[in-house]
Amino acid sequence: MITIRGFLAMTRAEFRLFRREPFSIVFVLVFPLMMMLLLSAVLGNDQADAQDVANGMLVWRGVTPASYYAAASVAVIIAALGLMTLPTNLAGYRERGILRRLRASSVSVWVLVSAQLTLAMVTFVAGALIMGLVASLAYDTLVPKDLIGVMVAFVFGTAAFGALGLLLASVVRTSRSAQGIGLLLFLTMWLISGTAPPRAMLPSGLRDLGGVLPLTPLVTAVQDPWFGLGWSTTSLAILTAYTFAAGIPALWLFGRD
Amino acid sequence: MLGLGVNSEGWFMAPVITVEHLQKSYGHMVAVEDLSFEVEEGEIFGILGPNGAGKTTTVECVQGLRRADNGRIRVLGLDPTTEVAELRQRIGAQLQDSALPGRLKVAESLELFAAFARNRVDSDQLLTRWKLQEQRDQAFDTLSGGQRQRLFLALAFVNSPELVFLDELTQGLDPQARRATWDLIREIRRDGTTVVLVTHFMDEAEQLCDRVAVVDDGRVIAIDTPQGLIDGLGLSSVVRFTTSEPDLGWLEKLDVVESLTRNGETIEVRGTGPVLALVASELVAHGIAPLDLRIDRPTVEDAFLVLTGRRMRG
Repeated sequence: MITIRGFLAMTRAEFRLFRREPFSIVFVLVFPLMMMLLLSAVLGNDQADAQDVANGMLVWRGVTPASYYAAASVAVIIAALGLMTLPTNLAGYRERGILRRLRASSVSVWVLVSAQLTLAMVTFVAGALIMGLVASLAYDTLVPKDLIGVMVAFVFGTAAFGALGLLLASVVRTSRSAQGIGLLLFLTMWLISGTAPPRAMLPSGLRDLGGVLPLTPLVTAVQDPWFGLGWSTTSLAILTAYTFAAGIPALWLFGRD
Repeated sequence: MLGLGVNSEGWFMAPVITVEHLQKSYGHMVAVEDLSFEVEEGEIFGILGPNGAGKTTTVECVQGLRRADNGRIRVLGLDPTTEVAELRQRIGAQLQDSALPGRLKVAESLELFAAFARNRVDSDQLLTRWKLQEQRDQAFDTLSGGQRQRLFLALAFVNSPELVFLDELTQGLDPQARRATWDLIREIRRDGTTVVLVTHFMDEAEQLCDRVAVVDDGRVIAIDTPQGLIDGLGLSSVVRFTTSEPDLGWLEKLDVVESLTRNGETIEVRGTGPVLALVASELVAHGIAPLDLRIDRPTVEDAFLVLTGRRMRG
């Protein structure tokens, strides 16, 4: 009872704080949107490109470049929230002594983590809707063919990147280092996970490296049902593995002080 | 140790806090060597010692914020490692070096913390008691040091605690604000709340505490009332005055006088017990009435110096 009341109060406080400092999230929402628009502008929205082949792979997975990037960029929002927003906020709370202050007053750190995740998910939903709207207005991109499959991918991706963000927040000491490491991880993944150059265009070494990082399976898990290629159970399994591999140590490390 | 006391109505009661042989290390650094003490219901109990003596670690273990390596702790009859959720509902804490989100407003912070409390206190009442009404819509980042400190005190009382821990209560406050805070703490004790005060300020311990545990290098080296600490060590007071009278041999004959030193016209008389009254009456009897007669009593600071052989830092 107290936990639910506390969770609601904490979530309300987090939303208020967000409303007072909305620009903290600009990068997370604007970067994927801007990249989707720029890459689509450069690479076009031509149905003729849909069947392009490079290195034995369909470059655009059978859809136009703009549709390809619209789906991939929604996944990028999840990665940005998980690798940058979540660890920067949580590490800052720890660094400033806010976590200690909360714990001393019956406030479990997990209530804070849940409130942060709630805020991140609402941000994601807003970002995804904006992305979808802009992409379909600008390029008349493909509407998800299997919306449930896409939503399942979002859930698995949120779990994996939420766990990674929590792990990052547990191991760094300051908000600034969380921000630095998070940005580095995010940009690296963004470049080699088929979200910037398509994977078919990458040299095989980078493609393999990108393949073992979590953004690639998230992009695949989102794109497959979106483009009507069925569910990518392999990708969902890899995301689940990341959730546990990062989440279990994070639960243990973040809870201690 | 049975640890039973008798309260004013004659009931036997267990102490509010019992700590027996507490030990805590961080890696190779020993923070608390072997520490025992008891806190009785309704008292203001001071934990006094220099920075790094192990005071904060001790109260953090007592509050269940840290796990002790060894020893037994009971707080309000609860074990702070296994019954921490229940314990937190019944205690309040003002921590050293903590903060709130920078843009959270004062009234919102109280509302947030109250949401987790079983027996919550009305926010307006807290804002009034801690003189924060004017700051209620101000963000944490914009508060002055004193205002932040008052907000943390208000937060410590948001769950109507039976016992509060105040760690470096008046750190960063100006003298006037310190005195005002002391008055509020006395008021809280009158309401029946037990207070554990962690401090490295001797004057604070002396002014506020019913009993003090002097901690040094992770051990309790003395527990007594502030006056008891001083009396127990037989520390002497110094009476000072000026006079042109050349022969004061009769003063030295008083039992309470230990020594008399003269520096020009300035006289210093060291002694114990009612030294001021006896010296004064003797002076008057000899027709001397100095305008500047005064006494410097031994302080807790002096007691600390004698107990540890060194001055308090900070």
